[in-house]
Amino acid sequence: MQRRTLAMAFSALALLGLTSVPASAEDKPTVIRISFPGAGTGGRPLSGGSFPSNAHLFKEIDDEFKADGIRIEWKFFPGAGPALNESYANGLTDVAFGHGDLPLIVGRATGLKHRIVLSSSRFGSSYFVVPAGSTAKSIADLKGKRLATFKGTAGQLTLYRWLDKYGFSDKDFRVISLDNDSTKAALATNDIDGTNITPFDLQARGIARSILEIRDDPKITRPGTVWVGEEFEAKYPQIVQRIVTRLVKVAYWSTQEANREKELQAWATSGSQAYIDYKKDWESVSDLRTRINPLLDDYYVASLKNSIEETKKYKLIRKDVSIDGWIEPKYLNQALKELKLEDYWPQYDAEGKLKVDGRKLAARN
Amino acid sequence: MNETPTRAPLRPAAATRRIDPRAFALPLALLALWWLLTAGGWVDTRLIVPPGNVLRVAARTLGDPVFWQGVLFSVARDAGGFAAGALGGVALGSALGASRLAERLIGPSFHTLRQISLFAWLPLLSSWLGYGELSKLVFIALSTLYPVALGTFEGVRGVTLEHLDVARVYRFSRSQLLFRLILPAAAPQIATGLTLGLVYAWVATIGSEFLLANWGNGLGNIIIKGRAAFNVELIIVGMLAIGAIGTSLNRIAARVEARALRWQRPPT
Amino acid sequence: MSASTDDASVFPPRGRGALPQLQLGALFDLARAGIGAVARRVGRAACGLILPAFVLAVWWSAAARRWVPEQLLPAPASVWQSLRELWAAGDLQSHLGFSASRVAWSLAIGGSVGLLLGFGMGLSRTLRAYLYPSFNVAAQFPVLGWVPLLIIFAGIDEGLKISAISIAVVVPVTINTLKGIANIPPHLLEVSRVYRFSLAQVLWRVVLPAAAPSLFTGLRQAVMQAWLALVFVELLASSEGIGYLIVWGRQLSQPDLVVAGMVVIGAVGVLLDLALRWLESRVQRWRRAAF
Repeated sequence: MQRRTLAMAFSALALLGLTSVPASAEDKPTVIRISFPGAGTGGRPLSGGSFPSNAHLFKEIDDEFKADGIRIEWKFFPGAGPALNESYANGLTDVAFGHGDLPLIVGRATGLKHRIVLSSSRFGSSYFVVPAGSTAKSIADLKGKRLATFKGTAGQLTLYRWLDKYGFSDKDFRVISLDNDSTKAALATNDIDGTNITPFDLQARGIARSILEIRDDPKITRPGTVWVGEEFEAKYPQIVQRIVTRLVKVAYWSTQEANREKELQAWATSGSQAYIDYKKDWESVSDLRTRINPLLDDYYVASLKNSIEETKKYKLIRKDVSIDGWIEPKYLNQALKELKLEDYWPQYDAEGKLKVDGRKLAARN
Repeated sequence: MNETPTRAPLRPAAATRRIDPRAFALPLALLALWWLLTAGGWVDTRLIVPPGNVLRVAARTLGDPVFWQGVLFSVARDAGGFAAGALGGVALGSALGASRLAERLIGPSFHTLRQISLFAWLPLLSSWLGYGELSKLVFIALSTLYPVALGTFEGVRGVTLEHLDVARVYRFSRSQLLFRLILPAAAPQIATGLTLGLVYAWVATIGSEFLLANWGNGLGNIIIKGRAAFNVELIIVGMLAIGAIGTSLNRIAARVEARALRWQRPPT
Repeated sequence: MSASTDDASVFPPRGRGALPQLQLGALFDLARAGIGAVARRVGRAACGLILPAFVLAVWWSAAARRWVPEQLLPAPASVWQSLRELWAAGDLQSHLGFSASRVAWSLAIGGSVGLLLGFGMGLSRTLRAYLYPSFNVAAQFPVLGWVPLLIIFAGIDEGLKISAISIAVVVPVTINTLKGIANIPPHLLEVSRVYRFSLAQVLWRVVLPAAAPSLFTGLRQAVMQAWLALVFVELLASSEGIGYLIVWGRQLSQPDLVVAGMVVIGAVGVLLDLALRWLESRVQRWRRAAF
């Protein structure tokens, strides 16, 4: 009897001892694998158009972790969002910089578990482009013809929204799945009759022309997302915080008017959009903070919910997806507090209208 | 049920070393037509580029080390996948041919799976193994496996009882039986299978480079870059390179096949 | 004491009395032989099913136990369900219809060109001298190599697919037609010359039947190559068809669609092959009967 109680006491103590091992300094990963859902022209490992791209182009994240001896492995996927999902499913990715709404939702619907920590871009213009020789003036003229979109990416939903806006459905057309390079080639050879793409460079080269444009409409475009894998976040919360803080810093830098030229040029190196495309597309943006905005505000959440509804409507997912537990704003809030940027960015409501204006900027020099 | 498909023989049966000048008539005529159409401006020269441009780009490409690097990568992939597939094919074919049990167990599945067009495997393979080297190599090996296995199977099946009797008289061990009797006896059909496998391997190499395009190296990538840059000349040069390499591989294979089978006495 | 053949006790007469015994014995043997044959057949078929059953079991447990992530390996049940859903919605039939029509057109076009080329080169030495070397070089060229150029010229629509698949068909048809003609026993041609057959008669009554086996081999290979090329071009750029189904499944992380597409492709391949073999055996039988 005594022996048994002693034994039990011992094991209890041992258990206590095991469970109360002091939390050692959090292990650091040796490598962080950051993926972009896309690649430059011809598959080159570059991207553009958002502040996460800047984080890569200007080596911000590499710098952040150099002192800790952590290497950053940058991955680019010509297969875009869907390929990123596959990579994550295979356990080959830890963080995603700028995932589009459709692949993001499809991933979650098929059981991928990640945590949304930032939004990567929002608003932006959308164009409907036809080959140069085409006589079409509206989407109605193209009924029954071939439209191109990269299936499985956010672009597919954008196209569907365009069609919906003008009262059509995807069944009224023949929608072909093509990546960016193939789409440009197809426009040049008249193999497709319409698509969404930035038209300026193509126009300059006489290949295509834009027939319709929708500028900064919150109903047509959706914000991009930065997420981290659930396991990665659970294991290395401090690393995640550092990534987010650094990204917010980059976002702040990216919204400085003085840096506009620099980032436009850097983005053009990826080749998927020409410099002139970026320049013209961003010309109408007087305050860079409208498009370069990392907040997870009402607009972001409402957009995500709307996108989920759309994917269900177009039968692109088969299981329902809930937002619960998906968005994790604590890292962003911490970063904003640290960098004293809580009031810097404008916040938008669920309809996409301005709710709280951003901090007044110093007069432009 | 001879299923080993044929390939084009490399030269007419009559071993006339003298090349019939009429052979050049058609290609020259086509070339002239091509040049005429582009020089006369009757076609869109962005699409149907003049032969002169192609030659220029060809000259420049042949001097570009990146091009040769691409060629090397593609050929290396081809060789690696082919080797793996050929070994597996010979092993599988021998097993199927030598053992009735194996044929009963594996045969039906083998013949049925063969009907699944090769490229249909590629999306699944690439979602498991990614867009990199591994999935391409596996795909190439798979493409080689079937024709080689089939050829080996037929060859081993052709081993007659008399052969086996000889082996028994000499008391061959298992491995001796395999290497000194069965495989040499099956050699002609194995060689046919290997040659066909080589053709399939090259097709698979190019096909996988097109469908699994990534920022890697290879002839397929060069062509894709050409497409991305609207460089039709580069595409044509790339195509010619693909054809040239394919043809040379076939020639080499045919020569090796002839050499290896030389010891076989002609059928009396 | 030897029995003589008319000793009724030893050699029962083949009368009514003895028949039931003999008949029963014979029947029994027959039955045993019959059952044995059926059992062997069933046994052979069953043997062939062991491996697939095993693979299915491994697949099922791999999916159930998540050895491979579920986004990449669909459970067999979901593949089956997707197939059923596609069939019920009519999608499967329409996609198959698109793919099949492409193959059919290409077989018609490529097959005719191939037959013309083959017969032309086989029967006329001049034509062979002009065409064969170029054809030979072009035949070594993998069909896929043509595709980037075809995309430029024929676009990415039906034109591309049919031209690419037709090219894939022309080569085996031509080669096998040539082979078939080359293998015609010369004495048959001599006989036809003796009888002074016209060209049409020579073709119909001598050349075709003699070359038929090779022609069928060519057809079989052509179908295989056509199917191969079809999947490739549909994977590359398409808006309908079985290859498109696979791309759709891939892009939307629905690997069950991918596998369903593969299953359908395999099934169609098997059916085509069987159909061609049956056709060939029919034609062979007729041929033998004619001679």
